[in-house]
Amino acid sequence: MPWIQHNWALLLPLVLGAVGVWLMMPGTRSIRPLGGLACLGALALGFQLIAGERDVSGAMFVIFSIACLGSAVLMITSRNPVYAALWFAVVTLSVCGLFLLQSAPFLAAASIIVYAGAIIVTFLFVIMLAQQSGNSTYDQSSRQPFCAAVSAFTLLGLLLITFQTWGTQQQQLAEKAKLAPVVIATPAPVPPPAPTAPSSGGSGMPVPSSGPAPLAPSGPPVVVAAHHLSKPLPTEELGQLRGLGRALFSDFLFSVEIAGTLLLIASIGAIALAPRRAQGTL
Amino acid sequence: MNGSIEPTLFVSAALFALGAIGFLTRRNLILMILSAEMMLHGVALSMVTFGRLHGNNEGQIFTIFILTVAACEAGLALALILSLYHRTKSLDMDLWSALREDDMPSPVGYESTIGDIPANTHPTQPTLTPAGLPLDPKTPLQSQRVTREETNTHV
Repeated sequence: MPWIQHNWALLLPLVLGAVGVWLMMPGTRSIRPLGGLACLGALALGFQLIAGERDVSGAMFVIFSIACLGSAVLMITSRNPVYAALWFAVVTLSVCGLFLLQSAPFLAAASIIVYAGAIIVTFLFVIMLAQQSGNSTYDQSSRQPFCAAVSAFTLLGLLLITFQTWGTQQQQLAEKAKLAPVVIATPAPVPPPAPTAPSSGGSGMPVPSSGPAPLAPSGPPVVVAAHHLSKPLPTEELGQLRGLGRALFSDFLFSVEIAGTLLLIASIGAIALAPRRAQGTL
Repeated sequence: MNGSIEPTLFVSAALFALGAIGFLTRRNLILMILSAEMMLHGVALSMVTFGRLHGNNEGQIFTIFILTVAACEAGLALALILSLYHRTKSLDMDLWSALREDDMPSPVGYESTIGDIPANTHPTQPTLTPAGLPLDPKTPLQSQRVTREETNTHV
């Protein structure tokens, strides 16, 4: 109980969102306008939690996120599969906008080309090829909308609470690092092991004397990336195409080759799986 | 957004959850695959965000691989969907839930939705001339012999 009172600002938009999505799902008990209002209310309450900076990037984030989540809800609750594919195109464009806000311009352009340009167009082709005349029965109803909404929003609540806890932990760590006094760190110099000289001669390697201990302030723990070439150079920005290309073809070369092989296998598989004609080849 | 990355993580988690709802509830095969693609969108967004947190390009590189795998998966899934449509002339997922043992009960929702079908008031959508005769919903998996002349599309 006190946990619910403590986290009510997070739980209320979740419950409202679950009710809204459940009401919007196609079926006999669906009240679409009411569900739409509930979803909008959930979005508004949810965005109150996010106290971002009041600048242009904050405003762009709000616009892209509302477009993203609104079209996502409209996509999964749409009765017409063509409309659903078009709402998915809006979701893709909004996610690409969010990519831009996260310093990923190349990825935004690549996602638009690959997703909105190729995948969604292929989906629309298949929808039009596999269409029955008029509206189909299977688009007018959904399977267990209430259970699905409750379970998925429970999952969402758990994820959000995890992110919130992690965020407060990071804040506490940052505050501790700021307030910590400057500590003189004296790394103990490790002398090289005196080699036993099996050969004749008395002069072994001289053991270096320990130098003066250097002064170093303690800061936040340094994270060393395993892939050194993935870090952008000081002259580059994060997400610039040059840095991506360098990292892709040096640190991740094997993955690139395997991805190419995967694409080849997928095209062979698609040709093999396609339904055969009654006469002729393939 | 030069501040925290949490709001973007919220959006990516919400995209994932909404994709999960769409995958579990919809009966149209294509809408199920579209919802799976939306889950991939959410994950890609969180990858990029975490890459920015660490100041690394690794997040974006992994997102490039997610794009590649999503394209392969969409292609293969659509080929499979077309094969399934070829057998039953319908994109309904529940028709394929008849692939079960004889003593198991029918899945929830299959029998109950046959009754309440609303009236067909929507205008017709773009379509090709359907080939073959309409199937009996009770026994959709039995192939019916149709001659080649009946399935010629007359342009």
